[in-house]
Amino acid sequence: MIVAKRKPLDEIAEMIAPYEKVAIIGCRSCVAICLAGGEKEVKMLVSAMKLKNRKDGREQSLDGFVLERQCEKEWVKEVEEKILDSDIVLSMSCSLGTQTIGDMYPHRIVVPGLNTAIFGVPEEQGLWSEKCLGCGDCIIDTTGGICPIARCAKSMLNGPCGGSSDGHCEVNLDIECAWYAIHERLKLQNRLELMEYVRPPKNWSTSHSGGRRIIVREDAKLTPHQKRGQEVLE
Amino acid sequence: MKRKIQVVICRVCSQGVPVLDVDKLAKTAAEAPYVGSVVTVDYACQSKTISSIVEDAKTKEADRVLVVPCSKKDVSPSLFQAYVRRGKINEFLIETVDLTNEVILPHREDPTRAQEKAEARLAAAIARLAALEPLEKHEEPMRTKNLVVIGAGVAGLEAAQVAAGHGLHTILIEKTDRTLKAPGVLLSKSRLLRAKGHGGNFELVIEAGEKEETLECAVIVVASGGDWSQGKGSLTRSCKEAMPLFRLKDSIDSGTLPSGPVVIVDTPDPKGSTMKAQDFAWDDALDLAMIAKRASPETDVTLIFQEMRASGLSELTYKEAAQLGIRFIRYDNKSPPTIDEKDSKRLIVKDLAQDEVVSLRFSTLSYASIPANPDNIGIADALRIPISLDGGIRRGSMQRGPVTTPRPGVFVCGSAMFPKPEAVARAEGKAAGILATQFVASGTVEYGGAVAEVTPEKCSACLTCVRTCPYEAPFIGAAGKAEVRTQLCQGCGMCAGICPSKAIDIHNYTDEQLSIETEAYLRGGF
Ligand code: SF4
Ligand code: SF4
Ligand code: SF4
Ligand code: SF4
Repeated sequence: MIVAKRKPLDEIAEMIAPYEKVAIIGCRSCVAICLAGGEKEVKMLVSAMKLKNRKDGREQSLDGFVLERQCEKEWVKEVEEKILDSDIVLSMSCSLGTQTIGDMYPHRIVVPGLNTAIFGVPEEQGLWSEKCLGCGDCIIDTTGGICPIARCAKSMLNGPCGGSSDGHCEVNLDIECAWYAIHERLKLQNRLELMEYVRPPKNWSTSHSGGRRIIVREDAKLTPHQKRGQEVLE
Repeated sequence: MKRKIQVVICRVCSQGVPVLDVDKLAKTAAEAPYVGSVVTVDYACQSKTISSIVEDAKTKEADRVLVVPCSKKDVSPSLFQAYVRRGKINEFLIETVDLTNEVILPHREDPTRAQEKAEARLAAAIARLAALEPLEKHEEPMRTKNLVVIGAGVAGLEAAQVAAGHGLHTILIEKTDRTLKAPGVLLSKSRLLRAKGHGGNFELVIEAGEKEETLECAVIVVASGGDWSQGKGSLTRSCKEAMPLFRLKDSIDSGTLPSGPVVIVDTPDPKGSTMKAQDFAWDDALDLAMIAKRASPETDVTLIFQEMRASGLSELTYKEAAQLGIRFIRYDNKSPPTIDEKDSKRLIVKDLAQDEVVSLRFSTLSYASIPANPDNIGIADALRIPISLDGGIRRGSMQRGPVTTPRPGVFVCGSAMFPKPEAVARAEGKAAGILATQFVASGTVEYGGAVAEVTPEKCSACLTCVRTCPYEAPFIGAAGKAEVRTQLCQGCGMCAGICPSKAIDIHNYTDEQLSIETEAYLRGGF
């Protein structure tokens, strides 16, 4: 899932300070699940801001609510009135939701309340770790199911760098060396020969290096005829 | 639904410490919304008063009662439940306020502030009570009449004996391979691994010998005892013959006690910072010291300790021991007793009372500490019951639940809590056996009430509640949303607190109800 972390209160306060009516919008999906921007966090932020405003002697109307998925226009539409009624939207979803609202209402100022950080896995309650960078051309079939792009600080493709020691990464000794982990996994699976397999230079054009990526699924797209039908229904 | 509150204020607390003007408090409370009438009573905590409070509320057609006793610790809503159930009042519409600890004690010096705060506190409680909903409880039949007793020591055996006498099927789980005459089944070399379910219908996984067994039972008594196996410490290191108290008892009983002075120290490791006064089995130490002294009055018997907690009847024993000529020496951790480096039959200790260092010759050295059983951690973990910082199983309340735990259907007795003399352990075992019998008697388990409930439309199926609940009550149901197994829910509120989608409410502790209470309090009065 997408894992995010709330921005510090002072930073949030500064972003919204010049505005009177603030709509604080959370999301029930990934950011709720990673305990960053669900209903609870939205309510807590509203309370924290109210306390801060009272302390700083500032008047501000703060309205907090949550959408099912902020990155989808249909859900955003449901709260259109509230968005248009506000002076600023503080989005408590990942930046996808923030930008969805921004694109739908270009005259509105929409600011992020969270730092969207990683594609992560909840290893245990309250601890998420990054496992994929979304390179667009997955190679973990040959690396024992462990991603060297995301889990190795240098995204090494063909074995560890010279700094790997005792299973730890030289960049930060608290992190496991991805290539050590790959080696151990392959050993366990009796596939150590894959360590010698030479991966050719990766084609990074499927990743961010190729510019903003768009994914199309032709068979799922609506035909112009279907689209017209939908408009009629609406 | 009508919301009519009967407020009952106990005068006794205010008589002791005349801080509050109870009549004024009653008068203001009577003006509050939803309050039908206010009465003042003496001794709200007595059963006679309780039943008349409930009767009175009923005749005045109140549907909820607020009791303002001297201390909430003793007078909790649960005290009233038995009375209330028989009447028309829903047991979840009874609340109490603790003015003593919250108001009278902290504001003794400032009656004006005390009165203000008492009013605010009362207003908050009334606002909360008016916002509560009557809740229902449900019943489920117990599948067995089994009692599982953990530990076949003095207390455990007694509990099993009593319960078996009342027709319960008892199963004793004993970690040693001791064979003893026990009622029902005795599983030796066995220990509790895991537990599922709830009071009335537990499912236990037991390691018995080499294999794992599953056991169903209705009720559990924890009688794990203290840690008798210990004995590692500075004294035992420097004096190999130092022995635990029960060994001393054996040698007295068998007449093999060597002649010469006897010294009993509270712990084998007086230097260790881990020594806790709770571990000192002073009761047994006093008894044995007296037995040794009586057996040979010319023998010097000395008791060395940091803290003597001889209370109740033991106070007399303490006095008697002193009269017999037993010597008491109190030390503190700064100068703990040590074995003389030149003579391993001499103990050096600084006597606090005399403020002088004494050197004692001894023939027998015994230590009288029984630390908490390390197995308690595993047991408490499996049964989800609390343990104290010292590692003993925590009981419900000294006065009102000396052998209960916070978990319905789990009782505790004997030295599993802290060291007890044999007679006390036996008495507690008997009490636990009787309570276990009583618990099983109805054949049904009650559940529900102030428990958690999920609003499925709000649930993100994030699993946070499933991971958080200590009782494994929530699960993701067929609809892909969290659900709570009400039978398992203890209403602890952890899931509601952490749910990122605010999808969980604890009945009668919803955000709205809590806000109503807090806001009334912050308004500061009626
Ligand atoms: S190889 Fe690319 S797609 Fe596969 S896990 Fe790594 S970053 Fe993600
Ligand atoms: S030590 Fe391992 S994880 Fe770290 S940069 Fe080198 S190869 Fe990558
Ligand atoms: S914590 Fe809340 S949102 Fe998550 S599964 Fe439980 S009820 Fe649903
Ligand atoms: S209130 Fe929630 S966390 Fe507590 S026992 Fe019930 S379900 Fe579990």
